[in-house]
Order: sequence, then C-alpha cells, then structure tokens
Amino acid sequence: MSAPEAPTVTRPSSLRQVGLVARREVSTRITDRTFLVTTVVTLVLIIGLLVFQVLLNSDDDPTRVGVVGSSSTIEPFLTEQATAFGQEVQVSSAADEAELRTQVEDGDVDAGLVLGDRPQLLFDESADDSVVSIVRGAVAAESVQEQLVAAGVRLDSPPAVQVVELQPRQAGSDQLIGVASAGAFLTYFLLILFGQFAAQGVVEEKSSRVVELLLSTMRPWQLLAGKILGLGVLGLLQIVLLAVIGLGGALAAGVLDLPGQAVGTVAQSLMWFILAYALYASLFAAAASLVSRQEDLGSVLTPMTMLLVVGFIIAVQAIGNPGGTLATVTSFVPGVSPLVMPIRAAAGEASVWEVLVAVALMLVAVVLVVRLGGRIYAGALLRTGGKIKYREALTAER
Amino acid sequence: MLEIDGLYKAYGDNRVLEGVGFTVAPGQMFGFCGSNGAGKTTTMRIAMGLARADAGEVRWRGRPVDEDVRRRIGYMPEERGLYPKMRVREQLAYFARLHGMEAASAGRAAEHWVEVLGLGERRDERVEKLSLGNQQRVQLGAALVSEPEVLILDEPFSGLDPVGVDSLAEALLQQARRGVPVIFSSHQLELVERLCDAVGILARGRIVASGTVTDLRAREAGRQLRVVAPDAPAGWAAAVPGVRVVSEQRGDTVLELAPGTDDQQVLSAALATGRVTHFSWREPTLVELFREAVAAPTGPSAGGPDATGSTAVAA
Repeated sequence: MSAPEAPTVTRPSSLRQVGLVARREVSTRITDRTFLVTTVVTLVLIIGLLVFQVLLNSDDDPTRVGVVGSSSTIEPFLTEQATAFGQEVQVSSAADEAELRTQVEDGDVDAGLVLGDRPQLLFDESADDSVVSIVRGAVAAESVQEQLVAAGVRLDSPPAVQVVELQPRQAGSDQLIGVASAGAFLTYFLLILFGQFAAQGVVEEKSSRVVELLLSTMRPWQLLAGKILGLGVLGLLQIVLLAVIGLGGALAAGVLDLPGQAVGTVAQSLMWFILAYALYASLFAAAASLVSRQEDLGSVLTPMTMLLVVGFIIAVQAIGNPGGTLATVTSFVPGVSPLVMPIRAAAGEASVWEVLVAVALMLVAVVLVVRLGGRIYAGALLRTGGKIKYREALTAER
Repeated sequence: MLEIDGLYKAYGDNRVLEGVGFTVAPGQMFGFCGSNGAGKTTTMRIAMGLARADAGEVRWRGRPVDEDVRRRIGYMPEERGLYPKMRVREQLAYFARLHGMEAASAGRAAEHWVEVLGLGERRDERVEKLSLGNQQRVQLGAALVSEPEVLILDEPFSGLDPVGVDSLAEALLQQARRGVPVIFSSHQLELVERLCDAVGILARGRIVASGTVTDLRAREAGRQLRVVAPDAPAGWAAAVPGVRVVSEQRGDTVLELAPGTDDQQVLSAALATGRVTHFSWREPTLVELFREAVAAPTGPSAGGPDATGSTAVAA
C-alpha cells in the first residue's frame, strides 16, 4: 500500500552470485576424494609416460648377432648395412651351431647367423624384420664382392651422394608434435572428466531438489555460469600443473631440447583447452539438466562424448599425418578443432591465420552453445521425473 | 503487507489458479489450506519466482516481488532440498550468503541457527548422515538463516513428530513476533487453527474463504446444536418448528435453528423423548469450515461472505 518506503535491500550483483556458486564448486571438489584421487592418478600417469619415453629414447643398445663361420669377413658388411638402417650391430662368433643355438635361446644374442653355402639366420621366438634385412643385405654384399674380386674386378670407392631437402621440416617439429599430442590427450581426458563433474553436479542439484532453493535466490544462468567457472578453474589448475611438471620433466630429462618453442606449443594447447572446456562443459551441463537421476546421465551424455571421442581419434591420426586432408579440414570444425589444430600447428602445417580462423569459429560455437544450453538448462531445471526432451526444455514455460 | 493479487496459472488445459488473492500483514501467521492439488504449492512457487503466473502479481511493501526482494524471503519448498554432501553449518552459511549476507555475518548467522535448532553437535556432519527430523531442521535453518523479512513455507510440519511440531511452531511464532509475515501451508488443520491469526482456504483455483478463524465461524450461516437423546425415536427433532436436521445418527443429532427459534424449546422436545445426555451449541472447527468451503458445488459463487451453509456437511 505504501509504495516508496521499501527499505534498501542489499543488492547482490549477478557476478557475486556467480562467484559464490563457483567458490562452492571449488571448495567442495578440492576436499572430495574422487577429485583428489583422479588428480593424483593423472599425475602419476603423466610422470610414468615421461619415464617410459626417457627409457625408450635411451634404448639404443646394439643388436647382437652371433656368427658361426668366417665372422671376421662378414662383420664389416653387417656394420655397413646396419648403419644404412640407422642401427648398430655387435658381432660375436660362436664355436659351432649348437653353441649358437644355446646363445640365441638364452638371449645372449638377438640373432644367430650360420654361414655356409646355405646361410641360416636363427631367432629365439620371432624374426626381427630389420635384423633379417641387415643380415640378408650383408650376406649378399659380401657374396657380390667375393665374386667381383674372383672375377678380377678392382673396386673404386663409389661417389658420395649429397643430401638436399627441398622442403625441410622445421627442426625439432617431431618433438613439438609430441608435446601437442600430449596436450591433446590431456585435453581429451580432462574434458571427459570435468564434463562428467559438471553433469553430475547438475543432476545432484536436481535430484536432491536443492535447485529450487537455489533458484529462489538467483537465475538459472548464474547457477550454470558459476558451476562451469568453478570447475573450469579447477580443470585449468590441473592441466597447468600437469603441463609444468610434464614440460619441466621432459626438458630436464633431455627428451625435449627446444624450450622456447615447446613452451609456445604448451601455451597454445592451454588456450585450446579453455575453449574446448567452455564448449563441452556447457553441452554436458545442459544435457544433464534433462534428467533427474545419476543413472540416466549416460544416455544423455553419449552424443557429446561421441563427438569428443571422434575428435580424439582424428587427433591421433593427425599425429602421423598432420598435413593430411582429414587433419586440415577437421582442424576448423568446432568441437574437434581443439584436439587437432594444436597438432597441426606444432607440425608447422598451419599458418597463423588458419589458427585464428579456427579460434574464431570455436568462439562462435561457444557463444551459441552457452546461450542455447543456458535456455535448455533453465527450462529443464525445475522439471523432475523422467527424461525431458530438448524441444520441451527449449519451449518450457515456467 | 504481503499481497498476493489475482494469480492465474494454467498448465495446458489444467487451470490451476483462477484468481488467487489474499494479503498477509507483518507479524501475521497465515495458514494456507486446501485439498491436495488445489494450487497451494503453485501459489507459493509463483511468489518465489519458480513458476510464472499467467496473470496477477505478488507484492511486498507495495513493490512487485522481484529477484532482489526474493532474496529477503525465507523459503521452504514442498520438496525438501539440501546439498546431501555439504556439512550443516557450511550449508547454512552458503544459503545465508546467497541471500546477500557477507561472509562474516553469514558465518555467525549459521552458527547461531545451528545452536537454536539444536544441531550443535552435528554442525560439521554431512546433511545426508542426519536423521530425517534433523534434516528438516536444517531445511528450516536454510529458510531462517538470512533473517528474512517474509517467510513462505510449504508444508513445514509434514513428517515431524509432536515434539518437532511444537518446536517448529515456537520458532515460527517467534518470527511472527519479530514482525515477519509468515505463510505456511498445512493439512494439519488443528495446528493451523491453534497457530494462525488468519486462514485462507483454497479450492478450485480460488480462495473460497479467508480471514481469522473467528471471522470464518461468524460467516457460517446457522450455528449448530448437538443433542444426544439415546432413547429418542428417529425424526423427533424434525417435528420442532424452525429446526433443520443436519445429521442424525442413533439419537445423536446435529440441528440448525432458524433465526428466532428458542433452543429451550428444542431441549423440552428432547426431554420429552426420554434421557438427554448431551446438549450444547458447537463451534464449527476449522476442519468443518474447511469441508464446508471445499465441498461447495462447482461454480465460483461458493466463496465470499454470502456463502450459505446450505451444502451438506460430510458425515
């Protein structure tokens, strides 16, 4: 009745409500066992991969070949052939075939060569193709030389061939591709993880009906934004932590030797992670708002998860062929681009404008998904029981 | 003054509210009654912005209730809801903050209500670990922790044992004494009668009766007289002029007297049949008023002061 005498109510701004929701997300997750365990497991996994990489790299033990027969004459041929294959051989001689067999079976040598008119190459379990090629080449070369000498031909040293790369690959691009691939893998993994977190959080609020209390103090978009922001901060923190440990470890272990460019690649991967997270978290949260029980989550999340999986498979393909048509085209497709473009860029296959176009397309997609997803979320949040259809949620009147 | 003004709401063809309106003064306890599905919850949800009215408005202090005002309202939804994994005090502090309190005062308020609600020893337990009764207390705490200017509670008493009912009633009365208008819905009409200054009965999408319980009684057309005469033959009372028999069951009769009819004449007639073991005017209870109001035939004319007691009271 008395209109203007309303008291001044403290007016919490939208930002304040969003901040409160985000803070709650962070503080409840950070004390949550599941969250801590997954973080630790990922860390261990990354460190494990790194150690594995270091071990693989140091694995340049020479191939050991035991020889029965005139081992001294065949040795230079074996060495030469091995060098052509980028390998090293270590030749030892055995007294007879029986001794050689024992050596092969015991693993003292990787392969046993029995020389004679019908030379034999022995392996313990399965033949190693590269060793087979080296040995065949060496035996053939020795035989040719013997025949030429026997025919009285004098051998001049052949002319050396000079190597010219017409389109030389950027030095160390393999390493950068490796870094970008690790980034894509982590991005994929964390997107699935944090997408799930966002989805479960939405359903938890719906199934516990706390959402009704929440929405009497804020708008749906504020709740959604706070949730995505809070989880995003945690996700970013996690990926930055992993990146620092991974990059630092790799540089320290000497797996990488291009600090500057590697950091650039990591920075770009982080940017793509943020974009991808904004897209997928909104998608996951909007989809999750359609159901009221955790058990029903799987069915609504499958399409988004499939998109991620497809993106990941293409990314794996792009590691081997970063300049291919598939990688080129998909590196512009929003949703897939965050996994593929960093690899193309690391391989030096994407120019700056291409990256910018992909980022712009992705930003457009993020804006669209956030708006549409927000509407679905707002429409579906207060309806419980069963699964709501997208169309119903979009046209829902409260 | 909290004003609910002409609310209309339809879900498809289902017209839930057809012009619901009532006012609650500061410090007033308003009992909101109605059969299941009458639209009590919808009315409250509209007030809380959880549903949109097709027409009508809710005002507090003359100003339409918007988001800012809503943060000054304490609300208990029909479907109870709390974060199951959040701890009691932490949860209350969070809701206080969402209602606009600063961190320090939210913490103090949460601590205060934890004590008041008798949850002191459980303050750091997760809500899911509490008994249902204690969860209900936390739920009430969530509605009260921000020192709201208005309380809107949907079935706050359901599921409570008598002791819980008493302590909740005490808490609500305290809020009303602070000058807070309190609206609560309930099916426990005795409780509403005992607690409330004002009552609104919702039926068929409208308020069919509202006011104090005394008001409602006064509106009831004829007062009723109950006479128990065990030996009386059936239909004895109908013979007395100016008397209408409301119900008759083995000598236990409820009568309505036309204006000017002398009750002593009825007593004589009763005594003429033999022993009379009971003879008294009875005040209709809220339950009866409720039945009367709700059972009215279709058509909107049932409400208002001109409602007559012409419909049969369910036996």
